[in-house]
Amino acid sequence: MAKRRTDRNTPLFDETEARPGPESRSLPQIPTVELIEAAQSRYLNYALSVITARALPDVRDGLKPVQRRILYTMWEQRITADAKPRKSAKVVGDVMGSYHPHGDTALYDTLVRLAQPFALRYPLIDGHGNFGSLDGDSAAAMRYTECRLAKTSSELLGEIHQDTVPFRPNYDGTKNEPVVLPARLPNLLINGATGIAVGMATNIPPHHAGEVCAALLKLLDNPELGSARLCAHLKGPDFPTGGQILNTSDELKQIYTSGSGTIRLRATWEPGPSTRSGKTIYITSVPYTVNKAQLVERVAQVILGRKLPPLLDIKDVSTDDVRIALELKRDADEQMVMAYLFKHTPLQTNFPVNLTCLIPTEQPEVGRPERLDLHQLLWHFLRFRLDVVTKRLEHELDALKRRIHILEGFESVFDALDNILRIVRRSEGKADAARKIMKQFSLDTDQTDAILELKIYRLARLEILVIREELATKQGRAQDITQLLSTEAKRWKLVRDEIREVKKVYGDPKKNPRRTLIESNEQEAEYSDDDFIVAEDAVILVTTDGWIKRQKEVRDISTTRLREGDTLLTALAGSTRATSVFFSNFGVAYTARITDIPATTGHGEPIQRLFKLKDKERIVAALSLDSRATPGLQAEKPDGIPSVHAIAVTTDGYSLRFSLEPFIEPSTRSGRRFGRPSAGAEVVDVALTTGTETIIAATAQARALLCSASDINFLSGAGKGVTLIKLPAETDRVLGFIASTGDRDLLTVETNRGASQTISTAKYGVTGRGGKGRALLKRGRFTQIMQPPVTIPSLGN
Amino acid sequence: MTTMPKSYTAKDITVLEGLEPVRRRPGMYIGGVGPAGLHHLVWEIFDNAIDEAMNGYASAITLTIHKDGSSITIIDDGRGIPVDTHKKSRRSALEVIFTTLHAGGKFEHQTYRTSGGLHGVGASVVNALTKELVATSIRDGERWQQSFKQGRPTGALQRLGPARGSGTTVFFRPDATIFPKTVFEADLIAERLKIASYLHKGVTIHFADEKTGRKQVFKHEKGLLDYLLRILRDKNATPVHESPFAVARTHDESGAKIDVVLQWTEATEEYLRSYVNGIPTFSGGTHESGIRAGIGKAIRNFIDTHGLTPKGVTLTSDDIREGIIGLISVFIPDPQFQGQTKERLNNPELSAIVDGVIRPALEHWLNHNISIAEGIVARIILAARARAASRAAQQAVSRKSATSNRLNLPGKLSDCTAPGTKGSELFIVEGDSAGGSAKQGRDRTHQAILPLRGKVLNVENAPLTKVLENKELSDLITALGCGLGKTFDLAHLRYDRVIILADADADGNHIATLLLTFLYRYLPQLVSAGKVFLAQPPLYKIDTGKQVYWALDDLRLAAIMADIKQQGVRAKPEVTRFKGLGEMMPKVLWETTLNPATRRLLRVAIADNVRTDRAINELMGRDASARFRFIMDRAEEAQGLDF
Repeated sequence: MAKRRTDRNTPLFDETEARPGPESRSLPQIPTVELIEAAQSRYLNYALSVITARALPDVRDGLKPVQRRILYTMWEQRITADAKPRKSAKVVGDVMGSYHPHGDTALYDTLVRLAQPFALRYPLIDGHGNFGSLDGDSAAAMRYTECRLAKTSSELLGEIHQDTVPFRPNYDGTKNEPVVLPARLPNLLINGATGIAVGMATNIPPHHAGEVCAALLKLLDNPELGSARLCAHLKGPDFPTGGQILNTSDELKQIYTSGSGTIRLRATWEPGPSTRSGKTIYITSVPYTVNKAQLVERVAQVILGRKLPPLLDIKDVSTDDVRIALELKRDADEQMVMAYLFKHTPLQTNFPVNLTCLIPTEQPEVGRPERLDLHQLLWHFLRFRLDVVTKRLEHELDALKRRIHILEGFESVFDALDNILRIVRRSEGKADAARKIMKQFSLDTDQTDAILELKIYRLARLEILVIREELATKQGRAQDITQLLSTEAKRWKLVRDEIREVKKVYGDPKKNPRRTLIESNEQEAEYSDDDFIVAEDAVILVTTDGWIKRQKEVRDISTTRLREGDTLLTALAGSTRATSVFFSNFGVAYTARITDIPATTGHGEPIQRLFKLKDKERIVAALSLDSRATPGLQAEKPDGIPSVHAIAVTTDGYSLRFSLEPFIEPSTRSGRRFGRPSAGAEVVDVALTTGTETIIAATAQARALLCSASDINFLSGAGKGVTLIKLPAETDRVLGFIASTGDRDLLTVETNRGASQTISTAKYGVTGRGGKGRALLKRGRFTQIMQPPVTIPSLGN
Repeated sequence: MTTMPKSYTAKDITVLEGLEPVRRRPGMYIGGVGPAGLHHLVWEIFDNAIDEAMNGYASAITLTIHKDGSSITIIDDGRGIPVDTHKKSRRSALEVIFTTLHAGGKFEHQTYRTSGGLHGVGASVVNALTKELVATSIRDGERWQQSFKQGRPTGALQRLGPARGSGTTVFFRPDATIFPKTVFEADLIAERLKIASYLHKGVTIHFADEKTGRKQVFKHEKGLLDYLLRILRDKNATPVHESPFAVARTHDESGAKIDVVLQWTEATEEYLRSYVNGIPTFSGGTHESGIRAGIGKAIRNFIDTHGLTPKGVTLTSDDIREGIIGLISVFIPDPQFQGQTKERLNNPELSAIVDGVIRPALEHWLNHNISIAEGIVARIILAARARAASRAAQQAVSRKSATSNRLNLPGKLSDCTAPGTKGSELFIVEGDSAGGSAKQGRDRTHQAILPLRGKVLNVENAPLTKVLENKELSDLITALGCGLGKTFDLAHLRYDRVIILADADADGNHIATLLLTFLYRYLPQLVSAGKVFLAQPPLYKIDTGKQVYWALDDLRLAAIMADIKQQGVRAKPEVTRFKGLGEMMPKVLWETTLNPATRRLLRVAIADNVRTDRAINELMGRDASARFRFIMDRAEEAQGLDF
């Protein structure tokens, strides 16, 4: 190849900007640019390019540049709806070579989407072969698939060669491409669009063609009609995948008026057959853009995680429709099951609407991004239609005028045809003949050329009639068009007629009914989280180290799994719907729903997982708040003492009684305070009391105090309490207590010699509170309270 | 030729009797005759005394180094060595103990539950290797004594008369014919006694060196905890939490006593010391593997239950134990060591036992000290992140010399033959397609090419680890060789100029912005040093048929066109707009963009850091509305839109 090049020594670029510097040598000096300037100008260039020529659709034809280029190329190649489909790779190659110098995969992905009936409400391309599915399967490679334009596309491209839209040169100036397609269909609204640009994005839902056309017609009748009023005709989005829109009509009006908002979209379902063992419901549609395979997986996770016991199984039995079978327990409440799934799986999704698109400016090639309301969207389309119609008429009139001119030429020379023949025969050639004819008759070049191109058979006698007839019709039509062009109202009527026509073909509710249900006022039962809890009785095991677990039943409590060195603190019984409360040595009570306590036969989980215990804080007691396990927690009158309440004792000998009523509802992770032990002191235990028991407390220095529970003050809020036993030395501390119901209900303590000693009302007299207690050992100490073996509680029924 | 021995028969086979084998092969018993072997004698006798203390019979031990420096007396207040006659050998028990290998009270579990000297060689081996040894036992109100020389009794066991209390005293002087050097090191012994006092809480150990008059008493009521605090002080490490974790528990089934203290610190090493029956096991063993496993599982369990699992980084057990100071002392009935020097515990069951004790105890401690636990977990996650970062930084670390370690350079880099010299350049090229042309068109001596694929990561919102994990950017860091962050060193930059060469289209502009953001955020020193440039590839090619011109922008294009018109060229010049660098022939790329004599570069500079920081954040940050405002404000001045 012969290379032409500039002389190597002359700089290619203008060097006047360069300043001489120390480093100049023979090399040119390098100018400096601020990083901020370089970054900003480049970024701006990128951003504007993405906004105006990549990610956003045009308000008129609803297409992004790449989509437009694919459709236009296919139209040019005549791969129309009635043609034989062509390999996708060929189409992609042609588009890439002629108009779109970017990656082939991105191009093919765009082409595929235009053909997917679940992505576009009215597909623009008719794909043959595997074009992907709702399950997220990708399309076959482009060397396998074939495609042609769908019939819909002819509505976008039909008028393209009638000078209806501006063209611009392609990237290398070898071809021209349309700036916009002369769409007859309001493609932006019926197929929707989605795109992320820079600093802005768009997400326009698809709509039903009939409704959009109806709204267009209404707007034509009354151009002042606002977005909200137009919503009476355009009821809402119509997704190709069906589903149900939950927004109220007011909400939808708001979305169409503001150009943004959120559409709540959920799957539809219907009851299926029920058998003796269970029943079935079928999911018949999934929300737009939801991947069906992933959805099924998510529901399966719910089942496997035992989050929704009435739901047994899920099976995807879809073919070309959507049909997912859910197996339910026989007594399951379908509404409740679906409510749970809607809440916790993509069976219900949000579609964020953002009606941003490019609107035309004075420069035909450049659009400006703007978020529009429904009125503006429709009005832009109508204006565009008027424009297209006008230009189409002008184009037609132009052609007519040219034809009339020629026909007039024929007419004027028809009688002198013999003369013309003679001139031609005597002439030197075509150019000479033309010159001579023009000289003799008053004809111009075009007319003369047309005469010279005439076929001999047209010299027949009858031909003049045909010519005259054509001239008459053409003149008539030209007159019509001239009139149309002179009165805008008539052209508007034409626009209206064409929209009516389109509406009939694409918007017929019988042939192509609305797929998405808009139903917000369905009487939907509200389900709280509690409703999803399966009510069953459970046993909760709490260990001294603070590990908790829930079991359905405990057969032998001595074999329950404990971690090395841990012991069982207590066992509680209650319904999964009830709560249980855990008391800490710091005077804080933590209430949990029993269902939230981990169900396991293993070690369970540390209580710190459920609650935020402080350092060194531990659980000293726990109670079930199930009304069957612990009845009488509610006070009969406000501010009264409930018949069953709690008593707590601290290491420094203080004690208080308090109501459990405030602790019934689940607490936060930080819990609620029930007592305020003084610094250095801790709560040793909390027990239930009715106020009639005898409190037996024992201290480390082997002192014991017995007093009536009623002596201890009932506090309405968390407090320090009153002195139960006066501790003689700072070194002494209360080890524990019981609320004894009688002589047989003893407190057993261990001495430092390893022996055990019992303290009961039978052995020692009951005194008042606040004394020093009775010394039980002359020498020696108590080391700990011997807890009676933990027994499995029953709910008493 | 070799001369064959005359004969080799049964009379050549020697059977060593009594303590003779010890003297003949001391290494087999004490590991050698060097200083370590010499002191091993002390440890053996001292461990016997400690065994008494461990089992609760003795509370004080006295060790004295005598004036000559090569004899020692060790006294305990235990039960005293039994002196009654041993049935089988018809000698006193004391004599049996000191003269018979594999004799002792530690084989049966009744007398000693746990003990260090379990090989049963201790006392007799020491005896065999001493010049003289005097053993005194006070028992049942009487004092008994027997002397030995090189392991042989010099007389019978003597009753010295009534005495108070009980205990054992052993005096010994190592045999200089066996040990080349018999002087004891006071410091070494004192250190060992000190450690012993930590491991056996409550035991009082007196140490006296008569040569220097040094006297010390070691007693630690808190045992290991005191030891831990001392290590903490010595290492000057910052603790992560206030109070250390401590657990002391006896395992029911095996009877193993396990004592562990742990402390996480800000240090980077792990410091784990283990002791079995009071003997340091420097080479670790099953108990150490048990504690490691236990710590790992407990921490992981805690992290799992509380949902603290960090994103983007996996925790290794090394991360979990980074900076930990741990002491473990186990006392077990049947320790099996590898070798007599007892440096590695070999009991297979112990790993599971230690693990089983540590794990629940540590987990319980963590759960009941949430604030401490969260501090520890934060420290561990930090360690993991630091490890991830340092690994990446290591990969990106600069080379000392440009020629060495070439293998570490990214495979995609087409390096030049003279990197690091003045005028050497690195071109960061958009895409492999353009990279190919650039590679062929460059000056191979000075110009290196690094093609990047697609859009580079936007580092404005990405965490450091994500940035370092990014292949394109880490390749770039490696190719630059100057490191980043703390390890940045401009001297190691492998090129004189770093030139961004992106297409003149929208995406090229975007990539240039992304690269500038990366350089500004991570290598600002490079920019301020004036090392970063933007290449200016031509946008238009103007072909008049005779001559070819290139234009950088529309302004230049118009000027050239006017020029051509003036020259009176008749044919209409053909104007081509370049879409990408891949479109150009390598030669053309050289002429227009690469050749230092003819190309046009822009040097990137930062004048106002505050303004730049804000602008970059506006462009690349999370706030889309700020970006939107910028675009709307500046949309007017945009030029050269690419359709």
